Amino acid sequence: MESLEQVFNNIVKDYSERLYWHVRRMVNSHEDADDLLQEIFLKIWTALPTFRGEAQLYTWVWRIATNETLNHLRKERVRAMLRMQSIDAEMERRVEGDPFFNGTEAQRELMKGLAKLPEKQRQVFVMRWWDELSYEQISAITGTSVGALKASYHIAQEKLKLNLSNLDVSK
Amino acid sequence: MTKRNDISVPQGYFQDLEKRLGQIPREKARVTTFQKVSPWLAYAASLAILAAVGGFVFRKAAAPLQEDYSWDYVSYLSRSLDPDGIIELEETEEPSEEDILNYLLADNSISVELIAEANYEKNY
Repeated sequence: MESLEQVFNNIVKDYSERLYWHVRRMVNSHEDADDLLQEIFLKIWTALPTFRGEAQLYTWVWRIATNETLNHLRKERVRAMLRMQSIDAEMERRVEGDPFFNGTEAQRELMKGLAKLPEKQRQVFVMRWWDELSYEQISAITGTSVGALKASYHIAQEKLKLNLSNLDVSK
Repeated sequence: MTKRNDISVPQGYFQDLEKRLGQIPREKARVTTFQKVSPWLAYAASLAILAAVGGFVFRKAAAPLQEDYSWDYVSYLSRSLDPDGIIELEETEEPSEEDILNYLLADNSISVELIAEANYEKNY
């Protein structure tokens, strides 16, 4: 039988890179994504003895990651409000100043548009578009019905299209 | 539009990340004895503080009310005028017999004879 540490190391091996990309798309900063990933895996390690296998492991791991990310974004929103600043402007600034961004102008606009979406909508779009999870998988992770997820994704897509309408997206 | 390759990570980042995340169980295991007992210490300290405050309040509530006659007008005034006790009051000396005599003689209603008579009665 595998020890907890072995199970944890397997989770790290199987999920750390995928979760990094998810978190990175959500927070728009490599440093923040790195910090947040440490917190997520710390939480996974702490909660691992309570994992009873009722949910699939990937659902359980993703649920912790998405909840932690949403909590982080909510805290950032509150902190920005206390500083009398706009979180949207801060997110846009991060996309503009990201030293690891090497995409096209259209991709940058897509990232900026994404940063302006409400957190839950952004989460659904990132999970469906970039993480390529099925609606059923996203539903199991977030606890939202497939119908509601499809509607949320559609709204997000329309908003992003509008944001990109002034650009030649074929670039 | 391509999905990935628009953002990158520092070289060797994922190898380093896997290594760092893999250290979490060992780091968490390195919890010191103090960290283990500190919640209990905090609990014990809270109980001690609660007991001390509770005991003090109970003693105050249970003690019979006592009038404080220890103060007089002079000390009341001195406390009001000089709350910090900067000016020290002089120790009042016991008046001598001569002082009392002078005081009584100053009062015209008391004669020397009356004083002598009272003094005689006191001594004999």
